[in-house]
Amino acid sequence: MQRFIRWFTIIFIVVAVLAPVIPQIVWSFSFRWFFPDLLPTSWSLDSWEYVFTDSSRVGESFLNSLYIALLSCFMSILVGLPASRAIALHEFPGKAVIEWVLMVPIIVPGLVSTLGIHQVFIRLGLTDSYIGVSLVHLIPCIPYFVLVMTSVFANYGTLLEDSARTLGANPWQVFWNVTFPGILPGMTVALMFTFLISWGQYVTTLLIGGGKIITLPMVLFPFISGVNYSNASAISLIFVAPAILVLVLTSRQLGKESSVMGGFGRL
Amino acid sequence: MRWQLLIERLRIPLMLFPSLAVLVVLFGGGMLFGVGQSFGYFPIIGLTDLTFQYYIDVLTDPNFFLSLWLTFRIAFISTFLSCVFAIGFAMVLRHQFRGSQLFTFIFQIPIPIPHLVAASGIVLLVTQSGVLSRISVELGLTQVPRDFPVMVFDRNGIAMILTYLWKEVPFIGIVVLAVLQGVGPQYEEIAQTLGANRWQRFRFVLLPLILPGVLSTSIIVFAYVFANYEIPLLLGVRHPTTLPVLAFENYQDPDLSLRPQAMAVSVILAVLAIGLLVTYKRLARLAVNR
Amino acid sequence: MTILTINNLTRLFDDVVAVNQLNLEINSGELIAFLGPSGCGKTTTLRMITGLLLPTSGDVLFDGKSILNVPTEKRGAVMVFQKHLLFPTMNVAQNVGFGLRMAGVNRAEIDRRVSEMLELVRLPGYENRRPHELSGGQQQRIALARALIVKPNILLLDEPLANLDANLRLEMRELIRSIQRETGITSIFVTHDQEEAVMLADRIALMFEGVLQQFDVPQAFYQQPSTIGVARFFRNENFLTGTRSGDTVNTPLGTLKIDPNIVNQPNGDVVVSVRPEDVVLTTTINENCIHGELITHVYMGTYSQLQLMVNGNRWLVNGPIRFAGNKGDTVNLHLPTEQIWLLPKE
Repeated sequence: MQRFIRWFTIIFIVVAVLAPVIPQIVWSFSFRWFFPDLLPTSWSLDSWEYVFTDSSRVGESFLNSLYIALLSCFMSILVGLPASRAIALHEFPGKAVIEWVLMVPIIVPGLVSTLGIHQVFIRLGLTDSYIGVSLVHLIPCIPYFVLVMTSVFANYGTLLEDSARTLGANPWQVFWNVTFPGILPGMTVALMFTFLISWGQYVTTLLIGGGKIITLPMVLFPFISGVNYSNASAISLIFVAPAILVLVLTSRQLGKESSVMGGFGRL
Repeated sequence: MRWQLLIERLRIPLMLFPSLAVLVVLFGGGMLFGVGQSFGYFPIIGLTDLTFQYYIDVLTDPNFFLSLWLTFRIAFISTFLSCVFAIGFAMVLRHQFRGSQLFTFIFQIPIPIPHLVAASGIVLLVTQSGVLSRISVELGLTQVPRDFPVMVFDRNGIAMILTYLWKEVPFIGIVVLAVLQGVGPQYEEIAQTLGANRWQRFRFVLLPLILPGVLSTSIIVFAYVFANYEIPLLLGVRHPTTLPVLAFENYQDPDLSLRPQAMAVSVILAVLAIGLLVTYKRLARLAVNR
Repeated sequence: MTILTINNLTRLFDDVVAVNQLNLEINSGELIAFLGPSGCGKTTTLRMITGLLLPTSGDVLFDGKSILNVPTEKRGAVMVFQKHLLFPTMNVAQNVGFGLRMAGVNRAEIDRRVSEMLELVRLPGYENRRPHELSGGQQQRIALARALIVKPNILLLDEPLANLDANLRLEMRELIRSIQRETGITSIFVTHDQEEAVMLADRIALMFEGVLQQFDVPQAFYQQPSTIGVARFFRNENFLTGTRSGDTVNTPLGTLKIDPNIVNQPNGDVVVSVRPEDVVLTTTINENCIHGELITHVYMGTYSQLQLMVNGNRWLVNGPIRFAGNKGDTVNLHLPTEQIWLLPKE
């Protein structure tokens, strides 16, 4: 009986996970696929050709999304790395409050602050700019980055650094030769999360980008509720590409994954 | 020497400062301005007096409460079902059996996939002329698209909930799985030798161990679904729609005088979210400590 | 108060035979030690008794009835692990009362029995403490209380004292012994420490690589080990090959007189064995004397330990504290007749 439950559940999981994905792949290659056929009656690469034209704006928005996400990652590292280290390895007064402050954007709906900051950004000329959009993306990015990195730092021992210092390494050398390689695996995972958060942003980019900066989700959005499923699927698959990359890269670290995901249990 | 000590004292605050600054300025500042706008402080269109009027307008609008109820209902159902399924799946996946690593990997696939892609896929599945409907025809259960139940652009938000489930079940599930695998079989074995049956072992030994992780992740999930704009806009109806969509649509309205109202809705949304989550955390803590 | 019988119990893991045709009968109320080096099958056997592991073949009987088809939660074979494994989310009272709670006993009764148990393990009043607040020894005692409260048919302890430091271990051994005597529960504890086994157990089951070597009272392992391996495990490596005929044994170092009422090897090839503490250093050569070449001697506080080469075997002999000698010296050893034991030649 137990074996039956196990295999039933496994099959259910596999089917459920693949169910929203497979049809999209098929749709992107289909030309005529009408109800009630279970497979397209004719195939074509039309959607894919469309995707690569300039007028679809897919290529342009892909690059925009990429640029902004990388920018957000970069800023997250600069700003989040020291903060997570401080939280993970040190005790200081007001620590609980600060941790709470850093987690707030995860809990409190970002709508108020996004709408609120809109006017400010207009005044400052930050709207319609890459940097402006990236800054807004930082609001959800930093908390997740810090959350994961804190867990990474907590599992990381400072003994190696101490040894290096006693052996004569200066702080920069210690960082580059000991700390950085030590946290790199965990940080890679954290960055992937951060990248994906920025990559998937829609409302914030819509608002702050002002229609001048078009990112991939913005191109995809109207297609999903539209009629042309083939195009929607093709764009969707392009949009999901970095996520697949992340899956492949993190699958190599499945063991470490659980300690990283354990960071989410800290709330 | 003295400046070295000074740097040492300042080190930790310096490490924390950038992140805090960014969040305080962007998030906190945004909230401040947003709250201000909700009270009518809107210099651009000439409003500078603070007033409660917009809040009153919002709270006396029956539409608002419809939206609120819908938002809450979808968030609650999505979060609750996600937890149940996540725990169930994690309980199955925690053992080591042939292929367990592969299946755990498959289980995790939805986590990095953007919500929009999930939504796109769900739409293909559940529209009346979608994949499931066609399978249903194949099985002889229905004949025309109209026979198949409406799940997209529907009042119940079924497609929305399915999308959230697809994304959030693995998210909660992985955390629970990590806990279960970290704990190992020995507590259950002891309980077993002491006479506990399968349900008792789950209820009294495992559940208390996974509850903290479930609590944390479900808070994140609820907060996300409650405040989510994209999915309801995509998969729901115009009326009634969820609060975030309501607020945003009002904000985008060419009639700028609707903006303060939009802000009021947003602020109420934020306050409700915080209130609900704090209550949830308190209740959960009570339950755990019993 | 259960009689435990194990018949031809065997367990394979892929190709490895972890337990090989084990046969034991344990009487009601006995405290038995499973002794042996790591990986010899002790824990595996324990798990088969609880039902957490199924045997490949063979049977386990409680009071003469096979319990193979009885699920673990119904067997009443309770286990205490090396790591105390108190449920971390419960306090001491909830931990100890766990088994009763599962059985549906009412609150008042549980509370009463819990405080009774805490008295028994000498931790009265600890009901509201949490596991992480307790020391290692206290945690292990609570684990014991949790096991005893359900009045198990069999109590199984898997290296329960291995994680404790030395003096704590002594204290706990006494506690376990006295509690077991008081409650009369048939108990098995697993250990790799022979001192512990000897001190606590009514009988010891010694296992090597899944095979039972000897199942006997502690003294027997010293005075009448069944094989060379058993003797070795109990720190006796003094072996001398010879041939028995009647009440003498011919060895390369001389003829030895033995007592036919003590030894049980038939005439033929045998191995003579005398424990280190029974060998007598002597200067006069009389009956039952052999000699060895001194390798070294070490001061041990209450005696000197001599290492000697005896006919190609390294012997250890306990000598007087003030022993003086040089490497290479010939030392005369008297082997008293009543201390000579014969082992089968392998």
